[in-house]
Amino acid sequence: MSLLDTKLLRDLRALRSQAIAVALVMACGLAMMIMTRSLILSLATTRDHYYEEHRFADVFARLKRAPNSVREELAAIPGVAHVQTGIAIQVTLDVPGLAEPAVGLINSLPERGEQVLNRLHVRSGRLPAGRTTVGELAVGEAFAEAHGLRPGDSIAAVLNGAKETFRLSGIVLSPEFIFEAPPGAALPDNKTYGVFWMPYRELATAFQLYGAFNNVSLTLAPGASEPAVIAAVNRLLAPYGGRGAYGRIDHASHRRVDDEIRVLVGLSVAFPLVFLSVAAFMVNSVMSRQIALQREQIAMLKACGFANRQVGAHYFKFSLAIVAGGVLAGALGGIVLGHQLVEMYHLFFRFPQLDFQLDARVLVFATAASAGAAFAGVAGAVRRAVRLPPAEAMRPEAPANFQPSLVERLGLARWFSASLRMALRNIQRRPVRSALTCLALALATAILIVPNSFRDGIAYVIDFQWDVVQRQTVTLSLVEPGPARALSDFKHLPGVVWAEPFRFVPIELRAGPITRRLTLQGLPERGTLSRVIDGEPRQLTLPPRGIVMSAKLAEVMQIKPGDEVVARVLEGREREIAVPVVGLAEDFAGTAAYMELDALNRLLLEGDRVSGAHVVLDRGHWGEFLSAVKRTPRIAGCIIKDSLREGFRKTTAESIGLLQKIYLLFATIVAFGIIYNSARISLSERARELATLRVLGFSRGEVGAVLVGELVLLTLAALPLGLVIGSGFAKGILTAVNTETVRLPLVLTPANYAFAVLVVAVASAASALFAARKVAGIDLVGALKAID
Amino acid sequence: MPAAVQTSPVFHVRGLARVYGEGDAAVIALRGVDLDLFSGELIVLLGASGSGKSTLLNQLGGLDSPTHGTLLYRGANLAAFGEAELTLFRRDAVGFVFQAYNLIPSLTARENVALITEICRDPMAPEEALALVGLADRMDHFPAQLSGGEQQRVAIARAIAKRPEVLLCDEPTGALDVRTGITVLEAIEKINRELGTLAVIITHNAILADMANRVFTLSDGRIVSVRENARRGLARDLAW
Repeated sequence: MSLLDTKLLRDLRALRSQAIAVALVMACGLAMMIMTRSLILSLATTRDHYYEEHRFADVFARLKRAPNSVREELAAIPGVAHVQTGIAIQVTLDVPGLAEPAVGLINSLPERGEQVLNRLHVRSGRLPAGRTTVGELAVGEAFAEAHGLRPGDSIAAVLNGAKETFRLSGIVLSPEFIFEAPPGAALPDNKTYGVFWMPYRELATAFQLYGAFNNVSLTLAPGASEPAVIAAVNRLLAPYGGRGAYGRIDHASHRRVDDEIRVLVGLSVAFPLVFLSVAAFMVNSVMSRQIALQREQIAMLKACGFANRQVGAHYFKFSLAIVAGGVLAGALGGIVLGHQLVEMYHLFFRFPQLDFQLDARVLVFATAASAGAAFAGVAGAVRRAVRLPPAEAMRPEAPANFQPSLVERLGLARWFSASLRMALRNIQRRPVRSALTCLALALATAILIVPNSFRDGIAYVIDFQWDVVQRQTVTLSLVEPGPARALSDFKHLPGVVWAEPFRFVPIELRAGPITRRLTLQGLPERGTLSRVIDGEPRQLTLPPRGIVMSAKLAEVMQIKPGDEVVARVLEGREREIAVPVVGLAEDFAGTAAYMELDALNRLLLEGDRVSGAHVVLDRGHWGEFLSAVKRTPRIAGCIIKDSLREGFRKTTAESIGLLQKIYLLFATIVAFGIIYNSARISLSERARELATLRVLGFSRGEVGAVLVGELVLLTLAALPLGLVIGSGFAKGILTAVNTETVRLPLVLTPANYAFAVLVVAVASAASALFAARKVAGIDLVGALKAID
Repeated sequence: MPAAVQTSPVFHVRGLARVYGEGDAAVIALRGVDLDLFSGELIVLLGASGSGKSTLLNQLGGLDSPTHGTLLYRGANLAAFGEAELTLFRRDAVGFVFQAYNLIPSLTARENVALITEICRDPMAPEEALALVGLADRMDHFPAQLSGGEQQRVAIARAIAKRPEVLLCDEPTGALDVRTGITVLEAIEKINRELGTLAVIITHNAILADMANRVFTLSDGRIVSVRENARRGLARDLAW
């Protein structure tokens, strides 16, 4: 090791607290970037591998019923590689220990041979034996875990009106149900919705579907056009009650994983970059100061024959050491936190195995980016230092050119003490440095806004979605849409206080080239339970004509109120109708379209029909109500609002909540780092001046006030700016992470602002205290003698 | 020219001028200096503040380039040297001693000397250089633990460890009391005598003139007088 390196190590040790502060800020940015990018890599590669290994299909279709011979016709469509047909049917379950009825989606296993597509992964037990035994089911892992079910346990299901008990042969996973949620639901409710598999013959026989299928999956041949295949499938299945084929992009589970990746992508860039830029600025200010302090040393080195290159390299190494510390801590932090988050994803994504995979490229990129940023920050200072002829550098820097500050020239000086005037002049003397410090302090404030806006957004969604929009206790749905009198049946269930009908119909909306499949909800024109709320928020009255849709849906389909969209009904008699968009609704989970119930029924030409009802219950009759529901075979599903809310809290809220906590911790560290660093630099720049003041008879307090005054002035200027920038960050990041399945509103509360201000104030006070202590400890004689 | 020295000078300077700035703001630091300096000589440059002596020293040491005139080092035109050549010149040929010592505070005495010996061609051991200035027993002290005179002697050890052809000293005793100043001057004298190094000392303290072979007095950027001492005095006999 050369002696310059020895000097480097000793200088670093002397500067350790600042070096650590900078390295920590850098580490926070890197950890965040490495964590999110690695999660993206983990999710994407695990999913792709899973899809490939278990042959996840490319195109899916549901239909009413088609004879098995149609399968060959499907296989003959140009561009189709493999076809798998089967039965998928929703049934009501009676789960031991669960008061309310649950809904199960039972899928058939091929009568002969293995599954061609969407192959199951057996977690424990085995697949139902099929030919030899009856009464066996394989159950999806999420539902099994939610109920503590194990192979060998029993579960009752109502198949075509008859209640039967099944033995669970095994617990399985399917690439079709990485996200196990009911169709159309943005959130999983693993207590009341499960996925099952049973042999074709048994399932088909129970529903009089033997020799037929109602569910198709297929893969595309290389180079095949998905839209062309979908169109051909739709033409072929139309006579059999086809409900419209769709690609992976409209596949609920695939979409959800995709959206999660999109959220992570949104989080992985902007926020870490802010941290890294702040870190680069800090490296720059630390290094500029260090180089200014070592002016004479640099001059001596040059006079003694060190080349510019050697001197430059020395200071670059200095910043490299800080970067190395930051990268090391950041990589470790990112890996540890990434592991934690992967654990959390097990909550709602079901993969055979989801392991944390370090995205090595991002590690390299992030290291290069922070080293580059640090170097860029140092380059200027080093260049200035080595350019200075040694003879000139040997002399102390010329005294800075001070002027009365602007405020003083405006005649306000008499309001200020000498300390404050000095602070003001000092700010004005180095406007660029002061502006940058102010900006760094503003960024410290700003980054504190973002994580808490997440927290407030979640709280708002929970209240809004389940108190303002949905005010029912439970939602009951019928197996098949039924006549309007079903509503009075619901009203007569024990404990029901109020019920409002709804009609749900799957549709495909089209505006220009953009199509989306979703549920069109027919609701009373101004319901009291499930309400349509706009952005104000105020309740919308559904007009007798036209549809109201989620604002997010309108955004992605690029339409505005007054435009017309084409709705293709995917159930019963297939029809296409042009409907005007009459309003935009605010909602945060999934996207939806709403229409007045009667208007929808007129459109469907099916008479007065309902799919179910939203119901308010007298909680005293809870038990009676649930057992009555369980006894009613026509009721396919019973969704308890509080369970949904709980599901949201446990999954989305928990995942965002964990990220929020990590971000908040990082933001707090960064805020402290920036402020501490500013105070340190200010102190080191002024040590001599402050000592002089002390010698001249200023008290410690007065001297401290000069130093702290500058920091306070800059902080005061930075706070409002920081709040504005932070609100902008929050808006930008929330926009980036808003997807069609889950969104967060921009909620900026006074509490959020107050917290940011408080953290910055506490950090400033702590740094000021530290500075004041240092001022008290200044060696008066030594400081005046020292060249620096 | 003293009889004791050889004919080929270490530095050959003619009409050397240095102007800082341009136009009305121009400051003329040197206005045509002529001199020849020879190996083994001890030269004192006297002058008040602003007389141009530091500028001249910087020109000789390759820290600055002249505006006009001839500046030859061993026949080579220093004025035409580029940055890289000047760096090599300083590295191998010149030892500097500064008024403010300019030691690296984070390195010990030995390390401060070794820092320079690491980069030059044929250095002496740092310990040897420190012994020459009488600091054999203070080698592992940091600058902050040394007195001003000791720090300056470390600076001299650092300058001579490379066995330079020229030792340039800028007010080496400026920050020191008489007694300490004399120990420092003795160290310079010793190097000059024992190693035959050309030593150039700039000072505004006329007493130091007694220890020189030749004394140049500068005023307003010119050499106004040259004095040759028939017999050099010893540093230890000086008093001020």
